[in-house]
Amino acid sequence: MKQDLDRVRNIGISAHIDSGKTTLTERILYYTQRIHAIHEVRGKDGVGATMDSMELEKERGITIQSAATFCNWKDHDINIIDTPGHVDFTVEVERALRVLDGAILILCSVGGVQSQSITVDRQMTRYNVPRIAFINKCDRTGANPARVVQQLRDKLNLNAVMIQIPIGLESDMEGVVDLITMKAIYFDGDQGDQLRFEEIPAELQDEAEEKREELLDAASMFSDELMEAMLEEQEVTEEMVHAAIRKGTLSLELAPVMLGSAYKNKGIQPLLDAVNMYLPCPTDVENIALDLDNDETEIPVSNNPDDDLVALAFKLEDGRYGQLTYIRTYQGVIRKGETIINTRTGKKLKVGRLVRLHADEMEEIEEAGSGDIVALFGVDCASGDTFCGGKLNWSMSSMHVPEPVISLAIRPVDNKAQGNMSKALNRFTKEDPTFKTFVDHETNETIVSGMGELHLEVYIERMKREYGAEVEIGAPQVAYRETITRHADFNYTHKKQTGGSGQFGRVGGYMEPFEEGEYEFVDEIVGGVIPREYIPSCDKGFQASMKKGTLIGAAITGIKMVINDGSFHAVDSSDMAFQQAAKGAFREGYAKAGPIIMEPIMKVAVEGPSEFQGAVMGSLNQRRGMIVGTFEEGNYTVVEAEMPLSEMFGYSTTLRSLTQGKAEFTMEFSSYKQVPKSVAEDLIKAYQDEKKEG
Amino acid sequence: MGYEPLVNQNPLRVLNLGRGSKQLGLVMARAGLGKTALLVQIALDSILRGNRVIHVSIGESIEKTKAWYDDILQFILQEHSVSRPHELIDMIARHRMIMTFKEDTFSRPRLEERLNDLILQDIFRPNCLVVDGFDFGRADRSTVEDIKEFLESMNLQAWFSATSHRTDNRVSPAGVPAPCHEVDDLFDTVILLKPEKDATIQLEIIRNNGIDSDAGIGLNLDPSTMMIKEG
Ligand SMILES: Nc1nc2c(ncn2[C@@H]2O[C@H](COP(=O)(O)OP(=O)(O)O)[C@@H](O)[C@H]2O)c(=O)[nH]1
Ligand SMILES: [Mg+2]
Repeated sequence: MKQDLDRVRNIGISAHIDSGKTTLTERILYYTQRIHAIHEVRGKDGVGATMDSMELEKERGITIQSAATFCNWKDHDINIIDTPGHVDFTVEVERALRVLDGAILILCSVGGVQSQSITVDRQMTRYNVPRIAFINKCDRTGANPARVVQQLRDKLNLNAVMIQIPIGLESDMEGVVDLITMKAIYFDGDQGDQLRFEEIPAELQDEAEEKREELLDAASMFSDELMEAMLEEQEVTEEMVHAAIRKGTLSLELAPVMLGSAYKNKGIQPLLDAVNMYLPCPTDVENIALDLDNDETEIPVSNNPDDDLVALAFKLEDGRYGQLTYIRTYQGVIRKGETIINTRTGKKLKVGRLVRLHADEMEEIEEAGSGDIVALFGVDCASGDTFCGGKLNWSMSSMHVPEPVISLAIRPVDNKAQGNMSKALNRFTKEDPTFKTFVDHETNETIVSGMGELHLEVYIERMKREYGAEVEIGAPQVAYRETITRHADFNYTHKKQTGGSGQFGRVGGYMEPFEEGEYEFVDEIVGGVIPREYIPSCDKGFQASMKKGTLIGAAITGIKMVINDGSFHAVDSSDMAFQQAAKGAFREGYAKAGPIIMEPIMKVAVEGPSEFQGAVMGSLNQRRGMIVGTFEEGNYTVVEAEMPLSEMFGYSTTLRSLTQGKAEFTMEFSSYKQVPKSVAEDLIKAYQDEKKEG
Repeated sequence: MGYEPLVNQNPLRVLNLGRGSKQLGLVMARAGLGKTALLVQIALDSILRGNRVIHVSIGESIEKTKAWYDDILQFILQEHSVSRPHELIDMIARHRMIMTFKEDTFSRPRLEERLNDLILQDIFRPNCLVVDGFDFGRADRSTVEDIKEFLESMNLQAWFSATSHRTDNRVSPAGVPAPCHEVDDLFDTVILLKPEKDATIQLEIIRNNGIDSDAGIGLNLDPSTMMIKEG
């Protein structure tokens, strides 16, 4: 298959809520000729923006789906991957970041770099995603692109350089000056379709020249050719500048800044040109697979269409077209009718329908080459699975999935809701590995758990809207854990004589703290003192005990169980008897092993005007927080702290009233830590009381 | 507490520096020799003596400043076993606070306001301050005097770092290079870091608790941790 990977762009658009991501995406899709009318976001015509296929999203004004949309601009195929902007959706964000090669970072010209932009940008840096900044809403009162550029430098540590300057701001915003061609660009027509190129307005000439100097200085760091041309005062060609900017952008050492107004149709086409010129194509980026047949050795994928297929399922979507699995191919070709293998399950499957999602339609295709993003129809798999062509056994997914930190009980309101709820839960848990569900056998309640309050709320709303499953919800609960702090021996005999056959089993050994994982079972039995067939029974008994600790009934983690002694009875020993013996042994050891309670600790960043710094620190301190540090710039500060999740319920209300709504915060899971003694005592007492009542 | 390795090879502890409560110290070196690492060692020494330390970073982010501690601790823990590493890391985090400022945001009134916020609300009561990135080249004598007076009034021990330049040959009578050659008398203790041929760093004490020392009192330090070289 012939393929021109140079002309493929897989990009994300990331933004703080309300910066104009949906509007900009809509404009891009319009200009790329795929949709023929622009519907305003939250518009009155009821059609709504094309990308926001989800009702809920429109209502909340946040983008939580990362569907991929295909479009074409000047002979380049562009896949736009919608990246969720909220950190509660960590795995979804990270997975989207994995499949995209470059990104547009949208900023509001008034709001500037806000909390979500900081978080998402940090993640982009972690995933080495080159980006172009687009300062949107230059038509708004108070627009100040220069300030935003400074913030990009200070807050995000980007080497941000303007490649355009605005022609007028606020209601006078007319167009932009391109600092590379040194031409003014105006956007004529109702939809800004017609670009008009003019001389730079006289009053902007000096500023344009000054900013061009800055741009050339920054760009010349990435091109000897440009550097020489400048030093020797020879002609600096457009090609030289483009090449230098591209190089700087790809190495993440330069962030070109563009500007405009999505709403007023200004600046979008040059942005698309910049995507083609400066953002990477699939072969510019190194992607790593893990060889499952070879101890998960890391291997770079080849991007070669002639090699065996390697594709990552990064998004499952149950939308208007049915069940879609979005995949990105990294090498090889995926073809309709061919058989591929899911390397996680080992299951083979036949590629049925293969489609490409345009903004307004679904296109059936026969094949998709490496570097492409397409969707499979009706495939049973989980998000994060890897497909290979049969010759390889690789995995693209090595992402660490954090354990949920918060949970709540849900109760369907009626029978119909009951059935729909299980359908929805089944689906969601496949889509998102950080969203989990189980039934608490003591209370018979269905529990859902996830990475934050908003994370769970969104799924509960989706349940209602997409599946018609109305549920009542309980109060959110922090997912505490229990663990041990020291080595402890056990030696327990389970013996029961009830009428006929009895039960007998003795299990001896020790437990100790295990930092590398949640649980490890080590069999050191010699001489058959516990028969082979009952070794798994011991393991089972231990694992069952781990589900519920004795301190507060929380799950136990971080324990290594070693058995090295025991005895059995020819008639009375059984699988059951050894499971019981193991449970008894666990209880005995656990009591001696210094058990403690652990709680999820969140990394919290509060930002706002400096005048509130004292009050903010006080409020965090009162909530058992540990202040890690503060950052101050002019009259703006950030306070970073490590906070127990249990203390953060209702914090947004507190913060709002403390700062007249001028500060905001973000929160991200950090680690589990031991709860202080007084808190542990309260938790234990509450658990005891609850047990008495129940 | 089982943290002997951290103590035994800490240059401050060995030289018995950094004990006076109001003492003002200065660490000077050319760029890239390990001033920040030495400030971190000063902070660690102080924390292990039971103090609380504020690490002021001018022109650096919280994350990067924190990374200095994490990296140095990790390095130490790789080389020496400590009975409860997590407890140690946690203890250090609880006794340290990072305060970072954009270059032109740092000033005495700002620092005073911040420290008062912390102390009055009983959030964090520091005994020691390390200040990294203060630009002595742009500060005049009265600014430094002002800060010194404030720190004394707060009963704080404090350590500043300063960058000297190869091209600037000015020195004070005591042998302290520019840009601190006109303010060095304000400091009770002055340390100079110099590169050695064997890639170690020579720590030279110019003044120790107000007493100028003859050149020669020095130690060889590991450049990655600023701890005393073994053997
Ligand atoms: N004045 C102005 N408003 C805009 C612009 N772009 C978007 N908006 C408005 O800002 C609001 C949020 O836009 P939206 O695209 O939903 O932002 P998102 O949350 O990032 O997807 C909507 O009311 C838009 O109409 C712009 O360039 N100028
Ligand atoms: Mg949106």
